[in-house]
Amino acid sequence: MKHRLPSWVCAAAALAGMLFWPLATTAQPVVYALDPAHTSVTFEVLHFGTSTTRARFAMVTGDVTLDRSTRRGEMGLRIKTGSVNSGIPVFDARLRQADLLASEEHPEAYFVASNFRFEADQLVEVRGEFTLRGKSQALSLFAKRFACRMDARLQREVCGGDFEGEFLRSSVGATFGLPFVGDSVRLLVQAEGIRR
Amino acid sequence: MKNLIATATATSVFTFGAALLACAAPLAHAETVTYQLDPTHTFVTFEVLHFGTSTVRGRFDKKEGSITLDRAARKGQLDLTIETASISSGVPGFDKHLIGADFFDVEKHPSARFTSDSFVFDGDQVKAINGTLTLLGKSGPVTLTASRYNCYMNPIFKREVCGGDFETTIQRSAWGMGYGLNLGIPDAVRLVVQAEAIKQ
Repeated sequence: MKHRLPSWVCAAAALAGMLFWPLATTAQPVVYALDPAHTSVTFEVLHFGTSTTRARFAMVTGDVTLDRSTRRGEMGLRIKTGSVNSGIPVFDARLRQADLLASEEHPEAYFVASNFRFEADQLVEVRGEFTLRGKSQALSLFAKRFACRMDARLQREVCGGDFEGEFLRSSVGATFGLPFVGDSVRLLVQAEGIRR
Repeated sequence: MKNLIATATATSVFTFGAALLACAAPLAHAETVTYQLDPTHTFVTFEVLHFGTSTVRGRFDKKEGSITLDRAARKGQLDLTIETASISSGVPGFDKHLIGADFFDVEKHPSARFTSDSFVFDGDQVKAINGTLTLLGKSGPVTLTASRYNCYMNPIFKREVCGGDFETTIQRSAWGMGYGLNLGIPDAVRLVVQAEAIKQ
């Protein structure tokens, strides 16, 4: 069950939490479970060189481990490819077919990373491996923003941010519609993790 | 037109003809041409920052509208209506809150509308659309800035399609949507608009 409402409603004390939570308080790895209500993967692809078609994956799960004292981290993200949602059911069904997401044969896509790059205290890049249609390739997710806060409702620390990455769908054989629908796929990842 | 779109989409979302490239040259009519918005390639997505941490997105799935263009005179008109209850964030509980009285109040205000008769051109390219957004019964000025714009011959519809990507940032309180401002929910809402329209 997803609980977005209370986090909006009972948010007053979280104002204080918008100040970055002290970064050096934990000297060991801390595990955060991704919050499904504030974690989603959206992809963007250019349609006939004219406009950007978007769709999101509703079912994304995983967790993140952060060790701030050593500036290391690990991330595992699992995406149910069949949960793709563009706002057009017939397009979603087309996306799930064998020459695009191949959801029947490959019900999940994965992003696994153990190379977190920090600049000062700020996370700037997560380098990992992206697996789609059963094929893996290196992928970097660049942090557009990253912050931690004490969540007032959950009474737990929450860390998260916005991340962006790009890959060529032809590199994993998702070739239908090329070149009229672009090869380059931009991933927009919203992620928030709740400390276990 | 709805049937045409549904049939074409259901048969094959993309059908590609070699004729496409041959037909891609821009047409140069000195007249006003009407284009019907293609609902499968027209979406308004909103983005709001969540506690300074990550970006929450949602989109409206039901919309309709039309555009007229007079390229010689470099003029355009746009009329887009959005069904506010069709909001989709991927989180059902959040959608329920959004359609309620705190936000879009869809029972009292089932639609939002953007109209414009002021297109800004740079050569043949639409660069911006100055218009009026009506939301929650209030109207206010909004300028959509184009990050890309193009016209092409669509091989499915066998018609010219014009469209692009547009964006703007509004302050929701200007339309009376003030819920949660005192709780740290931002006033600023970024709107990201995909639009394609089919020549009639």
